[in-house]
Amino acid sequence: MEALLANLLTGFTVAVTPTNLALCLTGCLLGTLVGVLPGLGPTATVAMLMPVTFSLEPTGALIMLAGVFYGSQYGGSTTAILVNLPGESSSVVTCLDGHAMARQGRAGAALAIAALASLFAGTVTTAAIALGGPAIASIALLFQSADYVAVIVLGLVAAIVLAHGSVAKAIAMIVLGIFLGLVGTDLTSGEQRYTFGIDALFDGVGFVPVAMGLFGLSEVMLNLEARAASGDLARLRDRLWPTRADVRQAAPATVRGTLLGIALGILPGGGSTIPSFAAYSLEKKLARDPARFGRGAVEGIAAPEAANNAGAQAGFIPMLALGLPPNAIMALMVGAMMIHGIQPGPQIIAKQPELFWGLVASMWIGNLMLVVLNLPMIGLWVRLIELPYRWLFPAIIVFCCIGVYSLKNAASEIVIMAVAGLVGYVLRKLDCEPAPLLLGLILGPMLEENFRRALSVSGGDFSVFVTRPISATLLAFSAVLLAIVLLPAVRRGREQLRE
Amino acid sequence: MAGTDQSKSASANRRRALAGALLAAPALLAAGSVLAQAFPSQPITLIVPWPAGGGSDIAMRMVADAASKRMGQPVVVVNRPGAGGTIGLKEMASAKPDGYTIAMVATGAVFAQYNNPNANALSDFEPLVFFGDDPMVLSVHPKTGIRTVAEYVAAARANPGKLRNGNDQPGGSSHVGASLMERRLAVKINKVPYAGFAPTVQALLSGELDSVTVSLPDIVQHHKSGAARSIAIAGTQRHFMAPDVPTFREQGIDFVAGTWRYIAAPRGTPADRIGTLESRLLETLRDKDFIEKARAAGFIVTPLGRADTIRRVSAEDEAMYPVFLEAGLVRARQK
Repeated sequence: MEALLANLLTGFTVAVTPTNLALCLTGCLLGTLVGVLPGLGPTATVAMLMPVTFSLEPTGALIMLAGVFYGSQYGGSTTAILVNLPGESSSVVTCLDGHAMARQGRAGAALAIAALASLFAGTVTTAAIALGGPAIASIALLFQSADYVAVIVLGLVAAIVLAHGSVAKAIAMIVLGIFLGLVGTDLTSGEQRYTFGIDALFDGVGFVPVAMGLFGLSEVMLNLEARAASGDLARLRDRLWPTRADVRQAAPATVRGTLLGIALGILPGGGSTIPSFAAYSLEKKLARDPARFGRGAVEGIAAPEAANNAGAQAGFIPMLALGLPPNAIMALMVGAMMIHGIQPGPQIIAKQPELFWGLVASMWIGNLMLVVLNLPMIGLWVRLIELPYRWLFPAIIVFCCIGVYSLKNAASEIVIMAVAGLVGYVLRKLDCEPAPLLLGLILGPMLEENFRRALSVSGGDFSVFVTRPISATLLAFSAVLLAIVLLPAVRRGREQLRE
Repeated sequence: MAGTDQSKSASANRRRALAGALLAAPALLAAGSVLAQAFPSQPITLIVPWPAGGGSDIAMRMVADAASKRMGQPVVVVNRPGAGGTIGLKEMASAKPDGYTIAMVATGAVFAQYNNPNANALSDFEPLVFFGDDPMVLSVHPKTGIRTVAEYVAAARANPGKLRNGNDQPGGSSHVGASLMERRLAVKINKVPYAGFAPTVQALLSGELDSVTVSLPDIVQHHKSGAARSIAIAGTQRHFMAPDVPTFREQGIDFVAGTWRYIAAPRGTPADRIGTLESRLLETLRDKDFIEKARAAGFIVTPLGRADTIRRVSAEDEAMYPVFLEAGLVRARQK
């Protein structure tokens, strides 16, 4: 304990120097500004701003990049809540109830809950890193391909729970998403599938343009249709801040979301997306009245926001402690460290304690700064969506195009987004929800890749899925969950709830 | 109305400007030869066909930064990722061949020309300079007990096709490297594909794999900590980041593989401009400070001029083609 305090003291001594505080602030600010642009999620933002940090000393550079990362993560939630535009995969779930709240005139409360849940998750995750970083990281090493298959199957089963409409439609959407995920170069054979010789499809259908089309653009179309005459998006009702009842509902959800986020965030490929989906599903299962979800349930914002922040930050654990970046952003961070001649890995804590503990301390400071920066901004954001819709929607579309274009500097992404927008409009007319489709698109390729790999490694022996304890447990759990969803009696109950 | 007046006068201006340009055309033609000597007289675009933040991007941003001083003009990195580098290289190859658009070409382009009908052939690029190698390293899980290449061969021959090796997808540099290694060592291993080196290394540490063929910076710290054991590096010499790891050649096997990068201009670029670009870039890459800076970021810089680059690349092309053929991945054009 004393050692921990001493370490944290080292960390805060490094982090609160005027230079590093200023860098942290600059990073958060830049990250928020760029991250609010739809389509520019944390990965793109960190990649774009990385060269800015090349001239800084290493600790400062990392502190600033971490700030950019939190800022853009938070910025993505803002657009998700206000205009139903998930700027990145992890804020897809935030759209569901966040935007529903905004439509009810409670955007301020939704934004505040998202910010506070993120701060709480950030604080707990920072503490977890400080207390047991290396120990937690080693959990990731217990997972092999077969276990990932089980995690993903569980995720897909949970996605059925996500939908509040018919189970059949939810399954159809997941399958459609998995099919979309097949497009591109197959990892196992190197073959191109469904690319029709179009270069832009060789790497598969990008998640971000599809998400923005399905959610954002189709929303614009529906809005224009519904309120062709006057149409403001939402009037601010009663108060800007969450009510006491909101906080009471959000608090336990935040705690659960945080724990789930840390657990899933350290796994490779986990990042912040799967935790946010998982947290939402969990809350919906636990809720006494699941019908509230999708209509502005406070837990539906608090849990996934906590989970995605915890998951994103937990990604630092394997990156710093093992040198194994679990997702694209952490791989970028490793790149940034290498530029400064630092090899992330087990030695880093012993050899460069100022860097490690400085970064840990700045994580917490960064989270706090974000909330301090953003709470006063909420009033401004909320005013923004009170603008007449005829001014707002062209701006939304322009920003969507800019954001999507800048992902790869390619116009093809804009085309994909436009097509996804049209498809999304049709799907929503048919009462099919886009969220399970997106989860299928993310998890489908991962499922196939790990499934084929697990079999390759086991020499074609299917028993590997039931002989490995982690895999067997998770698959059994999925089976139980699926049975509950599919049991006729339960289903009848769901349908009744919907009426 | 003011608006129409403005647009009227704007169009008049445009007409006047056009007439002026036509009159000035002969003068411009005459100035052309002067301009050629003044090359470069405007910023140079360096296309990196990989995303911002990755290894290629970092390497090329360092080059661009240092080369800007020697060119007397800014060298601007533009990321055009996608389709294994094909999209960015196509943009370079179809750019005006005036020396102002150049691009980084990496190992993957050798494969793309045979596999992807949309990809450019290597002959569409005019090599300028060779940047350097990122040699592949063979590393094993300590539980295998393997310490040398000879022991690796013995283990692989004892269980043909059973030793599990982590690499990237068929056609990728690490997969090709592993295939070339199989041929050179006359063994059969199970090449398991992963999306990227970080998950490959993770799988080795988790015990899912017996060995991996990745680039050294991705595994060096695990080698140092003892969680993995690097037994041979497929470079011409030992790697400065892990001088204790012997080369394949030192262990009696003439095997070199890995990824490499060179910078090229579109075919049809005038010879004098190619010459200028080659010499300025070569000066940049040979600069001691530059090499030191690149080393700190994990890059081995082994600059070669245009002629040597052409020789090197065609030798690689020659060696890799049979691997693609065997894997059934040759379908765009044949050699």
